[in-house]
Amino acid sequence: MKTDDDDFLTGAVPDPDAEPTAAELAHAKAFADLVDKTLVSGRMPPAMSTDDRALLEVATVIRATHGGLPLAPSKQHSVVEEALRLAIGGGNAATSLAGAPVIPIKRRWLPWAVASTTSLVAAAAIVLLVIRKPPVQVQPNVPTASIPLEWKSRPTDALIGRISSECSGPAIECAKQATVSTSARIDTIFSDRLAGYRDRRFGGKR
Amino acid sequence: MAPDLADDQQRELDQEQRLVEEAQRGNLDAMRPILERYAQPLYGTVILPRLGDSASAEEVLRDTLATAVEKINRFTWQGKSIYPWLRQIAINKVFDVHRQSKRSRRLADAMVHEVPSESDPTTHADVQLMADQERRAHRDRIDDTMGLLQERYRTAIELRLVQELSREDCAKRLGVTIGTFDVLLFRAVRAFRKAFGERDPKAGAS
Repeated sequence: MKTDDDDFLTGAVPDPDAEPTAAELAHAKAFADLVDKTLVSGRMPPAMSTDDRALLEVATVIRATHGGLPLAPSKQHSVVEEALRLAIGGGNAATSLAGAPVIPIKRRWLPWAVASTTSLVAAAAIVLLVIRKPPVQVQPNVPTASIPLEWKSRPTDALIGRISSECSGPAIECAKQATVSTSARIDTIFSDRLAGYRDRRFGGKR
Repeated sequence: MAPDLADDQQRELDQEQRLVEEAQRGNLDAMRPILERYAQPLYGTVILPRLGDSASAEEVLRDTLATAVEKINRFTWQGKSIYPWLRQIAINKVFDVHRQSKRSRRLADAMVHEVPSESDPTTHADVQLMADQERRAHRDRIDDTMGLLQERYRTAIELRLVQELSREDCAKRLGVTIGTFDVLLFRAVRAFRKAFGERDPKAGAS
């Protein structure tokens, strides 16, 4: 499989006296410019090909090994400050931490742990509230008070006898045959109901 | 060793131990003097020679120091300097960078496992000794590879990347045009990279 390390990076290198092609001349000039920029600034240019970067890394390794690329004191200071800021968390990399109270990493978790637990409990309570069914209202069997029969709606059979279903239509014919007249039946019923009303309303006083 | 020098070194080690213990008690800002003391040797002898890119090297240094502060509680003081522990963090970070970049795998394989451990740093002075040894080891590897190159390529690299002469001066020294020198340097770096990667990996391991 072809990789980034293939092609001119690992291919055969011509002899020093071999005539360069136009492409190699251009590539060599571009690489020389990159080396120039790196030597002046001490840093690699941000944009370059992968092959050029690989070669420039080799050049940097050679220079670094011969002590040519020390870390500048200002850069060292900023790297240390940034490392402390990263490790301790919060704050500004440019701000010195000297004298400032430093909170251990473990203790920084505490507020988050408390907040998370509280949020979870609140969420669980809301979910329970939503999914829980309302309690079924059970009507207790309240015993009704016993009341006299005279106060209730009731059939009149006990007063005037049962009227047969045959007499429900032709009432006049039936009335002729009846032992008790129709008006007497009505009077009997009215009297009975009035007595019941009086009993309830006036407590039996007439 | 002179008694005064030994006393100074012991004082430095005692101070380092106090700072580490203070940081382990929660005052992470106590790490600041340790980070400032070891940032330069980590950058110049451990990180940059293995990466070849100053911008990436600064980021790795920052991450190394931040990790050291975050994980200071995992460090066990054994009467020796904290530097080897910092150095191992840095090497692991460098290796992570190389693993993510297929482009530089070959360079990484050649350099990242090279971990000289001739000295046993107990004091700051010994840490300096360890850094010097590491720098020498890197230089030996570079010089060995240079020895494999053709004379003109070796000269081009020495003039431009080690002595950091201008392109014009380099061309003048070699008696060629600037364009020709550009081609020479381009080919020289390609040849170096190829030779460096093709060396027997066991030769550099220690």
